[in-house]
Amino acid sequence: MSHTQILANTPQQRGLNFARLLGLSLLTGLALCAVMGPELIGIDPARQSLMHTLQSPSAAHWLGTDHLGRDMLARLLSGAQLSLSLAALSVFTAAVPGTLMGILASWRGGWTDRILTLFADAVLALPGLLLVLMLAAISPGSWWALYAGLSLTLWVEYFRYTRQRSRVILSEPSVEASRLLGFGAVHIVKRHLLPEIGPGLLTIAAFGAATAVTAVAALGFVSVGIRPPTAEWGVMMTQLLPYWREAPFLILQPVLCLVLTVLALHLSVGVRKPA
Amino acid sequence: MSQTTISVEALFVYAGTKQLLGPINFRLMAGRTLVIMGETGAGKSLLAQAILGTLPDGLRSSGVIHLNGQRIDQLSPQERSRFWGREVAILPQEPWRALDPLMQACAQVQESHRFVAGLDKQTASTATANDFSTLDLNGAERRLPGALSGGMAQRVAFAAATAASAPVLIADEPTKGLDAERRDKIISLLAQWPNQGGALVAITHEAFVARQLGGDIMVLKSGTLVENGTSEEVLTNPRASYTQQLLDAEPHSWSKQPAVKSGELLLCAKNLCIWRNNTCLLKHFTLKLHANERIAISGPSGVGKTSLLDVLAGIRSPDEGHVTRMRSVGHTGIQKLYQDPPAAFPDKVPLGKSLRDVAQLHGVEWSVVSGYLSELGIHPSLMERRPDAVSGGELQRISIARALTAKPAVLLADEPTSRLDPITQRETLAMIAGIAKERGVAVVLVTHDLDIATKWADHHYRLDSVLS
Repeated sequence: MSHTQILANTPQQRGLNFARLLGLSLLTGLALCAVMGPELIGIDPARQSLMHTLQSPSAAHWLGTDHLGRDMLARLLSGAQLSLSLAALSVFTAAVPGTLMGILASWRGGWTDRILTLFADAVLALPGLLLVLMLAAISPGSWWALYAGLSLTLWVEYFRYTRQRSRVILSEPSVEASRLLGFGAVHIVKRHLLPEIGPGLLTIAAFGAATAVTAVAALGFVSVGIRPPTAEWGVMMTQLLPYWREAPFLILQPVLCLVLTVLALHLSVGVRKPA
Repeated sequence: MSQTTISVEALFVYAGTKQLLGPINFRLMAGRTLVIMGETGAGKSLLAQAILGTLPDGLRSSGVIHLNGQRIDQLSPQERSRFWGREVAILPQEPWRALDPLMQACAQVQESHRFVAGLDKQTASTATANDFSTLDLNGAERRLPGALSGGMAQRVAFAAATAASAPVLIADEPTKGLDAERRDKIISLLAQWPNQGGALVAITHEAFVARQLGGDIMVLKSGTLVENGTSEEVLTNPRASYTQQLLDAEPHSWSKQPAVKSGELLLCAKNLCIWRNNTCLLKHFTLKLHANERIAISGPSGVGKTSLLDVLAGIRSPDEGHVTRMRSVGHTGIQKLYQDPPAAFPDKVPLGKSLRDVAQLHGVEWSVVSGYLSELGIHPSLMERRPDAVSGGELQRISIARALTAKPAVLLADEPTSRLDPITQRETLAMIAGIAKERGVAVVLVTHDLDIATKWADHHYRLDSVLS
């Protein structure tokens, strides 16, 4: 029994309460829109039409058009695709090595543990966005710099959480019993570690994805991340900001998308019932 | 004339429509002791929870409970929680788990003095210092609970629970998991409670505790009252056969296990020395283990019994000397049983899955494993449950079945029954003896109970504390 479980919500604690259900359905909806949306509406998000700028929603343009006459819905969907896939990719490539390194550190202990922890602490010492900015400076406007920066920042949490929890679990009699019975590392990871740390890792993944989505938009907004003309929520916010008086509903759209995505990710973890 | 502090009339506890406990009636005066005795699952803890109003979800109680003249059974749990610590104090089972692991010992006691008893900061800290010196806890003030011994943690919990001097103290299994010396210490502490004018309700499965505490006794079996009376009467002259059974299960009234002819040599330990923190725990220990043999190792806590088992199992290497495993003992030929059965299984995995993994690894048919299980009296339906949904006694037997699946030559048992009630303890140890006899397995039993060591084993090694 651990008293330092901040993130480890057990399925019972998570429950399938209203908040979590809402978060999960919102997230599924957003993901479906991002995957199939651009295909379904079939409008090129980059096609300009200078005769029809800053239009209100209509049958032809469901969410109106921006200052260059581009279809807002097409741009939002394409932005969702970009943000969500970038988030999913960076979370995945942070989670797998982070978790494995955490297990390795707690398993081997000694110098392995010390070196890995030192490395993790060094990364943690840099403010998250700084690393992303440094990489973005090397290759301005490219998605891979963003992705690499995010992934390199996010893995630390998986490492620290896994290492901390695994150290406790690996010292339990049940693990000793399994070793005496002749089981190897794969069994111990599969039966002892993953069932215990899995729920906590999912929580970190959801929060990490929210961080990634926000970071992509924030960097786009200050023009150091994804560059125009790519449809990206942060870039759209910057571009539509000058028109907020004439067409407030336009800038509201990417803002709402960002808020909804982050909200959905946070709610999907579930709200822990008070003890 | 002393006044009634707690009275319970026609108390029942139900799960849905199923009756789990009842009817229970008792009346306890200030300065008196009531011992509630029964095996695990008899509903002893339910009774305490019904009084406190902390029954688990899905259970409900009926009946009339008066606490210090107030009727409390109709109050909501929130209203009842105001009485905790002030009118009724509880010393929980294994109190070291009830302490905050991140808070210094003295702060936890001081907190009770300040916020439960309502003293100001200065008085509270004086009262705390007082508690620590009367309870022989000097030097433990600034330690975290993890750095306290079981007995010390229990006294800290006792101080925290009784800070607001509630007139009624409920002690739930106060001796569970403690060695003889610490057991005596906590009992003498509890025995003072009625002398100071409090009423004591002690819940236990050990007749020994009842004998020491005296007062009245109620014997429960599967939720119903079997017998009650003064403890002298009940313990020396029981009317119910169940009470007799409980008394017979006490290790000192066991009959000696017949010796068995030992077989081939399996394990040989020579001149073992084990050190911990620059203290030599064990010096020149030599042991020869043969098939069919039952060996007991006894001694107080902290004397290195568990370390010795780890050395024998090959998990840890000795600081001096060596252990030779005969060729007939394969690399999974030494298996271990643990003190806390739930901790010996991965807790998120159903038991059946755990056992199937073992069977598969060792190439054993499932029918063989279910044979072991039925031999040990385990119902197959338990295999779908997780370790925490099975009783300690059942789980220990399942862990025996798990060890047998690996076809061991040597079974090392680390206090396997110290958390079980006496009847289950006797059954479990008899089963282990049966395995030694029939399957030619050598068993090394570590225990803190001298009676068990002498009655159960062929050979008994007694380790004494180097420190004392």
